[in-house]
Amino acid sequence: MLDSLLSLGGLVLLRDSVEWEGRSLLKALVKKSALCGEQVHILGCEVSEEEFREGFDSDINNRLVYHDFFRDPLNWSKTEEALPGGPLGALRAICKRTDPGPVTIALDSLSWLLLHLPCTTLCQALHAVSHQDSCPGDSSPVGKVSVLGLLHEELHGPGPVGALSSLAQTEVTLGGTKGQASAHILCRRPRQRPTDQTQWFSILPDFSLDLQEGPSVESQPCSDPHIPPVDPTTHLTFNLHLSKKEREARDSLILPFQFSSEKQQALLRPRPGQATSHIFYEPDAYDDLDQEDPDDDLDI
Amino acid sequence: MAAVASCGSGAGSTGSAVATASKSNVTSFQRRGPRASGTNDSGPRLVSIAGTRPSVRNGQLLVSTGLPALDQLLGGGLAIGTVLLIEEDKYNIYSPLLFKCFLAEGIVNGHTLLVASAKEDPANILQELPAPLLDDNSKKEFDEDVYNHKTPESNIKMKIAWRYQLLPKMEIGPVSSRFGHYYDASKRIPQELIEASNWHGFFLPEKISSTLKVEPCSLTPGYIKLLQFIQNIISEEGFDGSNPQKKQRNVLRIGIQNLGSPLWGDDICCAENGSNSHSLTKFLYVLRGLLRTSLSACIITMPTHLIQNKAIIARVTNLSDIVIGLESFIGSERETNPLYKDYHGLIHIRQIPRLNNLICDESDVKDLAFKLKRKLFTIERLHLPPDLSDTVSRSSKQDLAESTKRLGPGCGMMAGGKKHLDF
Repeated sequence: MLDSLLSLGGLVLLRDSVEWEGRSLLKALVKKSALCGEQVHILGCEVSEEEFREGFDSDINNRLVYHDFFRDPLNWSKTEEALPGGPLGALRAICKRTDPGPVTIALDSLSWLLLHLPCTTLCQALHAVSHQDSCPGDSSPVGKVSVLGLLHEELHGPGPVGALSSLAQTEVTLGGTKGQASAHILCRRPRQRPTDQTQWFSILPDFSLDLQEGPSVESQPCSDPHIPPVDPTTHLTFNLHLSKKEREARDSLILPFQFSSEKQQALLRPRPGQATSHIFYEPDAYDDLDQEDPDDDLDI
Repeated sequence: MAAVASCGSGAGSTGSAVATASKSNVTSFQRRGPRASGTNDSGPRLVSIAGTRPSVRNGQLLVSTGLPALDQLLGGGLAIGTVLLIEEDKYNIYSPLLFKCFLAEGIVNGHTLLVASAKEDPANILQELPAPLLDDNSKKEFDEDVYNHKTPESNIKMKIAWRYQLLPKMEIGPVSSRFGHYYDASKRIPQELIEASNWHGFFLPEKISSTLKVEPCSLTPGYIKLLQFIQNIISEEGFDGSNPQKKQRNVLRIGIQNLGSPLWGDDICCAENGSNSHSLTKFLYVLRGLLRTSLSACIITMPTHLIQNKAIIARVTNLSDIVIGLESFIGSERETNPLYKDYHGLIHIRQIPRLNNLICDESDVKDLAFKLKRKLFTIERLHLPPDLSDTVSRSSKQDLAESTKRLGPGCGMMAGGKKHLDF
C-alpha cells in the first residue's frame, strides 16, 4: 500500500520524528512519481536544492521542477526569478496551470510552512490545492493533484497537527523497532470508514522503496519454564460445566413465572383438596398456649 | 416566545402570529356554516406551514430533524428559531449523515434551504442527500427489516429476565407522512426533488478573496460574510415577517458544515489562545439572534474534538440550544469490546433547551447508541450490564449524583436523580 499512496490523490501527510526521519521516504515517493511520468513540483524550504537533489539520477533531476525558498525565504535579493506570493503563491500558480495530467507536489516541509504562515491560511490553501480536481462537471480536464507534505510532529502542538490530519486523505506515521522502519498508513476516504495498515520498509541508497515483511518476532522466553501454570479448575468439589443431559434438562425446565398452558389448566381445574384443608401443628416445649392477652395486666 | 418579544416590536408581531397559528392548529373545532354577512374573514387564518407541527408540551412550532428517533429524543422535534449543534465524531463519517437527513427533510417538506460549507460545494452536498422512503412499500420493507433483525436474537437470549424482551428497543411514535420521514442512506435523492426545491448555497472559497485583512477583536471575515448572507436571505424572502403580502409562509432550514474548522479561517482548532478566540462565540450569538426573529431552524456540525481550548467548547454549548455529541467506535478500544459489537457509536445528548418552560423535555433514556446499517441510521437504547464490582454499593449513588450535576445546568434537574440521594 505504501507504493500506491499517490494514486489516491489529495493531501498525504508524512509524519516523522527525530528517530525516524521522513525525508528519504519523501524522496523515494518523489522518485516513484517522477518515473511514472507525472509532473513533480518541489517546494524546498528546509534544505538546500543541492542537498535535496543529491542521490537522484540525472533524468529524474531533469523532471523535477524545484521552487527554492531555502536560499532566500524573505526575498531580500529581489531578483526576477523570485516567485511572488511566497510558497503559497507558488502553490496557487501550480494549481492554475492549464495542461492536464496528474501532478505531484512535494512540500519540504510542512513544518517550515506552519512556522512561517498562519495555520488557517495554510489549511485553506492546501484544501484548495488538493480538492481542485474533485468538482464534477468541470469543463477543463484537470489531472489529479497529490500533495505530499513532510511534517515533523515533534515541532508542533496537538492543535496544528490535528487540524492538518483532519484535512489529509492519507496519513503516514513513521516508526519502527530495532533498525527496521515501519509506516503506519491511515487512509481516510470520504464517507467511508478509515483503513489503517502497517508496512515495514527500507529505503535503498538510490531512493527506491523496498517493502519488507515485519521483523522476525522472537518468542518471549518463559519467565519460569519449570513450573507449569496452575489450572484452578482441576480438583474442584463442585461442577463448573454441565453435561449434555444436564443442559437439556435445564433448557426444558419451565420457569416459575412463565405462564404456560399446563399451568393454566392446573389453575382452571378444581383442586381436589381445596374444601378440606388442615393445618397440623405440634407445639414444643417453649410455646405458650395461654389465650389471655398479656397486656391486660397493664394499668394505664 | 419570550426571547422573540424582547427583540423588538417587529419581531414580536411575528412571534405572536406564529403563536396564534400554532394555537389554532391545536384545536380541532371548526366553525361550520356560512359566516355572518357583516364580517369578512375577521378571524385569524388557520396558517399551517408544511412540515411543522406544534409541540404538545410547550406550544413551540417544531420541525423534524430528519430522523424520527432523534425527534423523539428531543421532545418532538427541533423548535423553530433554535440551533441544533452536532459535535462531530473523530473521522467525520456519521455527522454528515445527520446533516444530510436534516436537509433532505427540508426538501421533502418544501422548505427553503441554505447550505453553507467551507469544505464542499453546496451543490455537491445536495446531490448526495439520501432518498426518502415515501411510499408504503418501502415503509413495509423497513418494518420487516427491523423485525427480522430483532427476532433471531430475542429467541436465543432471555430465559430468566424474559420481561426485558418485551420492552421496545426504542419507542418511536407514529410517523405521519407530514412530519418526519425515513431515509435510505444507500440511495440518492431524485434529481427532480432537488430542482423543485428552493435552495441557497454559501461556499466560502468562492465568496472570500484570500488577501482580505483581518482586524483584531472582530469576527473572522468568513463568519461576517456568512452572517450577511443569512441576513440577506432572511430579509429578501420574508422569513422574518418583513414582507407581509406573502401568502404562503415557509420555513428556512440553515445547515452549516464544519463550523470552527481552519477552513473557515478560525484558528480555535490550531492554537489554544488564538488571536480571534471569541470569533466563533460571537458568530453563534449573532446567528441565534437572527434565528429567533425569523422562521428558521439551523443545524451546525462542529469538530469539537479538534478544539484546543476546552473553555470554548463550554461556551459554544451554552450558546446553542440543542447539543448532540457523536462518538464513533472506529479506532478506539471500544471497537473490539463485545458490549458494543452491534453498534457503530454512541450518541450523547448534551443539552436540551428550556423554551418558555421551567423544565426541559428530556427522555429518560440516557445510554443511546447508533448504528448505520446499509440503508438506515438507527438509534437504540444501549443496555449496559450491571456493575458487579466490589464498590458497587458505595460508588453507584455518587456516580448518579455526578451525572445529574453534569446534566443539570443544561437540562434542568431530573427527578430520577434525586431519588438516589436519600438522607
